[in-house]
Amino acid sequence: MADYRYEEKEGFDGKKVKVLAGTFDEGKPDAGYDWKIKLATREEKIKYLKTALRYWYSNEWYGSEKNKQGG
Amino acid sequence: MSEEIIKTVDRATKELIDKAERENIKTVFSRSEEIRPCPIGIEESCCKICAMGPCRLPRSKKDSQRERVGVCGATIDTIVARNFARRVAAGVAAHSDHAREVAETFLKTARGEAQGFTIKDEVKLLAVALDFGIEIEGKDARDIAIELAEKALREFGRQKGELTYINKAPKKRQDIWRRHGVVPRGIDREVVEVMHRTHMGVDQDYRHILLQTTRCALADGWGGSMISTDLQDIMFGTPVPVLGSINLGVLKEDEVNIVVHGHEPLLPELLVAASREPGIRSLAEKVGAKGINLAGMCCSANEVLMRHGIPCAGNFLQQELAIITGAVELMTVDVQCEMQGLQSVAECFHTKLITTSDRARIEGAEHIEFHPEDGLDTARKILRLAIENYPNRRHAVYIPSYKQDTVVGFSHETINYLLGGLFRASYRPLNDNIINGRIRGVAGVVGCNNVRTPHDLCHLTMIKELIKNDVLVLTTGCAAMACGKAGLLIPEAAKEFAGSGLQEVCEAVGIPPVLHMGACVDNSRILVAATAMVKEGGLGDDLADLPAAGAAPEWMSEKALAIGHYFVASGIFTVFGTTWPTLGSDRVTGHLFKDYEEMFKGMWAYEPDPIKAAQLMIEHIDKKRKALGIDKARERVLFDMAMRRALG
Repeated sequence: MADYRYEEKEGFDGKKVKVLAGTFDEGKPDAGYDWKIKLATREEKIKYLKTALRYWYSNEWYGSEKNKQGG
Repeated sequence: MSEEIIKTVDRATKELIDKAERENIKTVFSRSEEIRPCPIGIEESCCKICAMGPCRLPRSKKDSQRERVGVCGATIDTIVARNFARRVAAGVAAHSDHAREVAETFLKTARGEAQGFTIKDEVKLLAVALDFGIEIEGKDARDIAIELAEKALREFGRQKGELTYINKAPKKRQDIWRRHGVVPRGIDREVVEVMHRTHMGVDQDYRHILLQTTRCALADGWGGSMISTDLQDIMFGTPVPVLGSINLGVLKEDEVNIVVHGHEPLLPELLVAASREPGIRSLAEKVGAKGINLAGMCCSANEVLMRHGIPCAGNFLQQELAIITGAVELMTVDVQCEMQGLQSVAECFHTKLITTSDRARIEGAEHIEFHPEDGLDTARKILRLAIENYPNRRHAVYIPSYKQDTVVGFSHETINYLLGGLFRASYRPLNDNIINGRIRGVAGVVGCNNVRTPHDLCHLTMIKELIKNDVLVLTTGCAAMACGKAGLLIPEAAKEFAGSGLQEVCEAVGIPPVLHMGACVDNSRILVAATAMVKEGGLGDDLADLPAAGAAPEWMSEKALAIGHYFVASGIFTVFGTTWPTLGSDRVTGHLFKDYEEMFKGMWAYEPDPIKAAQLMIEHIDKKRKALGIDKARERVLFDMAMRRALG
């Protein structure tokens, strides 16, 4: 990770303040980051479907559509 | 003195158009000057479905009230609606036949009969299996995949019932479709029924024809295209953000250049794998090349770019120009958007044009057919052919220096992940930022290039106008590639081009203001992402409630009409540029542009000026924000216990 950098911005009171700037790794990535590799077992995969993709694979969520169905 | 016509806004393209002109090589750009669009055909006022015609029925300049009917009595409304329906059906057929090929290969992969293919994404396999009602408990991936493949293939020939993916849409949207009787039964059935109904002397009420057109289009977006995307993801991996480069400058003078062009990612996937084999690479070195440079063109490019970071040489109007560099040893083409003119351009150089699909040949081109059973061997054979052709370069090579870094691969799952991590993945942050106004809305800008409008200009003008006004843009196909070349697909673009609200969100999440979601079949990803936004809550309970719009400012293919029509039927306001194919009938145009808003809460619009079109989209987004009550900033009230009790 690169060293922290700071930049000056205007605060709510109009005064200049020093804030942490963006931090990033130098260079370019060689490959995409396949975040799904973290899901190793069948159980973890199904748990992911029920949480992250709950809209379709779980009954435990609370969106507008769900609320109107009394769910 | 006549004004010079701008043909492109892309400098690499301009340099190669000039080279083609200097060397007297015909391309789509020069041919378009020799052939003007037919004035009757452009408004679809011509009927040629029986041998009593063709009946040409243009508007009379002298007598605007003249009733326009063909010799059979068919009104101009029937004729225009029939032509529109057939074009949509052709687009649906194209995407869906692609899907069939993928599904058949998927079945062979599951059975272990497809050389070089495996199940790469088990998470997606489980998800899609659940969509299809397959019991996954205690079954291994192979058995699930076989069952899924068989069920997916049945979607094409299904005669009754409803397509499976319809159930993924918001409930309210499903109700609207059912109320109008447009839920597709089977993919093939809907295409066949359009062709039957538009045969001479069958369906002769334009409203009724357009209803079947709608059912057919839905069989693409919520059928064929979605099957393609999902099964491809299972076999090749669901896209994640990856860095690539784009434009004709990705070709390399000292390497064997192979361009994969077309739409189906099956053979391209194997070409990627084979090109990395040490044996193949050493063959290239033996003929004096420094290596093998695989590059993509059109939607095949999108597929291998977003899954492997394989460089993209360009979009639709750049296909002939890639060969004009003199650096391309071999170009493979499978299906869709491949110009026949490629062969005559290839004959001016040493380039071998190879057709690879059993459904598509080009006169003069060599044919090496791809079959999944021996696909990897076929890929190796093609690569060897390209390597052997490297010493045959007979022209000075000229490769424009332009290429651009690009970040691609924003599948709807990856957007969900980026917004909340693995187990808190959620569209909530996106919805919240739409509700609080940092993001004004979301636009899907997709579609082709069209030589009748300057290459890439309308895409870029429209998209820059949208992001400047804090509209997050999702893009696919040739539109996505236009954005890549112009530097809109990198996170830094937010700072340069986006409005302050969108900029803040992009900076916080680390995403570009324009998200590359894939090839043209991957517009289904946009439907699923939009559905997730609805289901997450706070932005209504139907796709039509979202502050969202769609556009294809440089469309040219029938597939674009199919995509546009399923967007509209899904409740999305959709603007097309360049030209509009129902202008021959005021009633048909009015029905699609106005009545459809009443019926499907989504409607078509036509506006060739990209700034005006973007403004129409923003107006629509603002209208939806107002309807949701999020058009004005509200004072945030922190509820104390008494106020909470009062709520109960």
